[in-house]
Amino acid sequence: MTVRVLVLGADGFIGSHLVGSLAASDWASPIACGHRARAGGGADPIARLQFDATNESALYQALQTADAVVNCIAGSARTIADGARALVAAAARQSRPPPLVHLSSMAVYGNVTGLVAESAPLRGEDAYAQAKIAAEANCGHYSRAIVLRPGIVYGPRSRQWTERVARWLLAHRLGDLGAAGDGCCNLVYVADLVTAIAQCLHLPGMVGQVFNLAMPQPPTWNEYFVGFARTLGAVPVARIGRRRLKLETKLLAPPLKVAEILCRKAGMSALRLPEAMPPSLLRLWQQDIRLDVTRAGQLLQLRWTALDDGLRQAARWCNQRADALNS
Amino acid sequence: MILDANNLPDDGTLRADVCIVGAGAAGISMALQFLGSGIEVLLLESGALREEPDTQALYAGAVADERLHSPPDRYRQRRFGGTTTIWGGRCTPLDPIDFEARDYVPHSGWPFAREALLPYYPQANQLCEAGDFSYTAAATFRDGGRPMIEGFESAYFSSDTLERFSCPTDFGARYGQRLRSASNISVVMHANVTAIRLLPAGDRVAALDVRTLGGKRLQAHAAHFVLAAGGLEVARLLLASRDVQAHGLGNQHDVVGRYYMCHLAGTIGALKILKSPGAVHHGYEISEEGIYCRRRLALRPEAQRAQRLGNFIARLHHPRVTDPAHHSSVLSLLYLAKPLIPYEYARRLLGDEHASVRTWFKHLGNVVTGPLEAIAFAWHMLRDRKLAQRKFPSIIVTSKANLYSIDFHAEQQPNAASRVMLDSAQDALGMQRLRIDWRYTPGDVDTVTRAIELLAAEFNRRGVGRLDYEPATVEAEMTRYGAYGGHHIGTARMGSDPRVSVVDGNCKVHGIDNLFVASAATFPTSSQANPTLTVVALSLRLAAHLRGLVRAEAAATAIAGPPQPDGHRNPIAAGSPV
Ligand SMILES: Cc1cc2nc3c(=O)[nH]c(=O)nc-3n(C[C@H](O)[C@H](O)[C@H](O)COP(=O)(O)OP(=O)(O)OC[C@H]3O[C@@H](n4cnc5c(N)ncnc54)[C@H](O)[C@@H]3O)c2cc1C
Repeated sequence: MTVRVLVLGADGFIGSHLVGSLAASDWASPIACGHRARAGGGADPIARLQFDATNESALYQALQTADAVVNCIAGSARTIADGARALVAAAARQSRPPPLVHLSSMAVYGNVTGLVAESAPLRGEDAYAQAKIAAEANCGHYSRAIVLRPGIVYGPRSRQWTERVARWLLAHRLGDLGAAGDGCCNLVYVADLVTAIAQCLHLPGMVGQVFNLAMPQPPTWNEYFVGFARTLGAVPVARIGRRRLKLETKLLAPPLKVAEILCRKAGMSALRLPEAMPPSLLRLWQQDIRLDVTRAGQLLQLRWTALDDGLRQAARWCNQRADALNS
Repeated sequence: MILDANNLPDDGTLRADVCIVGAGAAGISMALQFLGSGIEVLLLESGALREEPDTQALYAGAVADERLHSPPDRYRQRRFGGTTTIWGGRCTPLDPIDFEARDYVPHSGWPFAREALLPYYPQANQLCEAGDFSYTAAATFRDGGRPMIEGFESAYFSSDTLERFSCPTDFGARYGQRLRSASNISVVMHANVTAIRLLPAGDRVAALDVRTLGGKRLQAHAAHFVLAAGGLEVARLLLASRDVQAHGLGNQHDVVGRYYMCHLAGTIGALKILKSPGAVHHGYEISEEGIYCRRRLALRPEAQRAQRLGNFIARLHHPRVTDPAHHSSVLSLLYLAKPLIPYEYARRLLGDEHASVRTWFKHLGNVVTGPLEAIAFAWHMLRDRKLAQRKFPSIIVTSKANLYSIDFHAEQQPNAASRVMLDSAQDALGMQRLRIDWRYTPGDVDTVTRAIELLAAEFNRRGVGRLDYEPATVEAEMTRYGAYGGHHIGTARMGSDPRVSVVDGNCKVHGIDNLFVASAATFPTSSQANPTLTVVALSLRLAAHLRGLVRAEAAATAIAGPPQPDGHRNPIAAGSPV
């Protein structure tokens, strides 16, 4: 018998990878839950549900048909916090409370530096980190939760760390940042994260665990940018100075963001606008935080995708997507 | 963290596992290798974040012949980052032949082959921000790159090897933040090491004397000490420390300060390339990682052996800037901009002879007759050099007439009579100043003369061009500006025999268990290559060696019991961060 896994946030980057991987497996079948209706559902062999993931009674209903649940909900701080609260409440009310894999983030650690293990205090201060911390706290009230704290998840369909970075690299707005890119880039290839989730559901004794997730020898941000640029063919890689970065993040970012919001409000596509580079990224790229992944290595038995392979897959997807957009 | 010695308590003691003297290319590269290692590192730096005249004056000294060597306080910088605050950034590794004992190069041969440095060169290249450790055009460019001169193939010279350029990276500015935020590394600025104190038995360093220009006196204790104070200052420190060993440290056989080498460099001749101007590409190509790369004409190792010559490379160069007869508005503009160009660069580029008013007006005339080219060049320099983070490395002027000169850079042979020593005059801290007596040999003149002769013959034989020059002027040209500035090599040379060397293959001073040198001072021979990339690679190798030593000692201590009260693990004396 296969394990029925309810995937919340199934339309998203990680959720969609997870659904695909579970559907292809012989031990699990996904129930994909998104908030968007799917076109041409007829031929789709995957069970799909559509509801708002902060809706506790809808969650309760959906969980009735599932043996396990994975929370890949992304979105506003509010959605993250409320979604986790509703999910834990709905799961706890089940006659047999299912195991719950909750995707948190390294953002919960805040701006600390050095090697950070799962036991480190959660000091994240911005709204996103606070929401993730609140969501984890909710999971703490649930007896069958497993929390994953991935670093920078990249790979095909990643808007944030693959597509956006690729666009900046191709425009030579990013490249080798010198001292501003010396921070540790705790990369996780999306397929490795999906495997980790599967292992959490598959292996005994995972309930109650918390795991950091990142490749064990992570590159610096500069190494990530330069390596990705070369794989994409965004060469020669530009050297971006501090002055340029300040200009981007302090001077250009605010008006670009405003223009983007105005476009959206007016119902126009903001696609042609250069994407704003928020100052928070400048801090992240310098932050020398390194996730201690000893525990994940020991308990989850993962084999990490080599950076070169991950970059190749990411670049191939970017190129296919660019072709599709152009045609 | 970064501290200022002036803020530390007088007569205080600094303690660490490893103490490094000098925060230049070598010292900073080494310190970075200890990040997060749990090994306590003390990096003592004489200067601070910016150049300070009083501190720079500690480098002043005398030269035996002012025509042959620049004053010792020029071409080196006594401040955080060291001389990388002004270096040109040209990177190129040593060639395998440089490590060999060659019977035609006296005192040649390193205690190890190039393979011993290969594990460290790629990371050194990264630290210098020169991209991949890939030094041939064939391996660097997918299409093999543009040839330097189309159709020029020679059994004597290869034009496939590259030089790569650092930003040029100021190691202090680039890596200062990483050192500042490291909990196990303490950089102490304004900390001048004035003497190395041995234990009475003379086989171990007990402590370093540290003084500030403000009058503070401190001592630094550590398990291991590394001198990374630059190729001249290393010798000065060894020679000046005479309390237990009367001739200075490692100097029982009078080797410290001798065998002093720079490079033999100059510009010569008029080369007319007998091809279309489009067939010549003597400038830069940019690699995928965004690095400026340039081909050179390198004398092949087989040719060096067969001809019994030292290592040698040449580049195609623009005509001499000072002579307005070149009629180039670009070169004349450069000439007129001389006051804006730093001394260290202006000297070789523009000469230091005093120009007549007539010459000045002739240059002005050149600029006025080719204003568009001059403006385009000024814009290129502003955009690609002045404002760029990765700077366009040098002046490249393409000649419509296909006329060039030859810029050469050659190995200088080790010669015991070429030396630096202590002078009777003292600096502000009471340390004896340096006196430099740089000399070259007939063998050096021979290397350059015959290599240029071979090059001219090859151009001729292959029908690619004609190099006109006066062979009798080679010696004068290679010494026109004296020893090549900034490359200070050989003053504490490496070798297994203490009678002709100062440090062993691990860069440890012979006879002293815990004193090491990280510097071009340790190179037994000078190669054709600029030294810094190899200085960094050697420093990384030494850091790996020291990490091994400290770990082994810690393991031994763990078995033998806790350290003595005077152990090395105590934190350093408190001070306010700068
Ligand atoms: C104009 C110029 C251009 C150059 N271009 C190139 C190039 O293109 N390619 C290349 O390979 N090399 C080049 N060089 C050489 C390059 O700068 C040096 O090889 C390199 O800096 C050597 O590194 P180092 O760490 O041994 O010495 P340094 O960088 O000189 O550092 C020595 C440090 O020790 C400190 N110090 C000295 N004495 C004491 C003391 N008693 N106590 C405490 N601290 C002390 C100094 O303040 C300094 O910070 C150039 C040099 C010059 C001047």
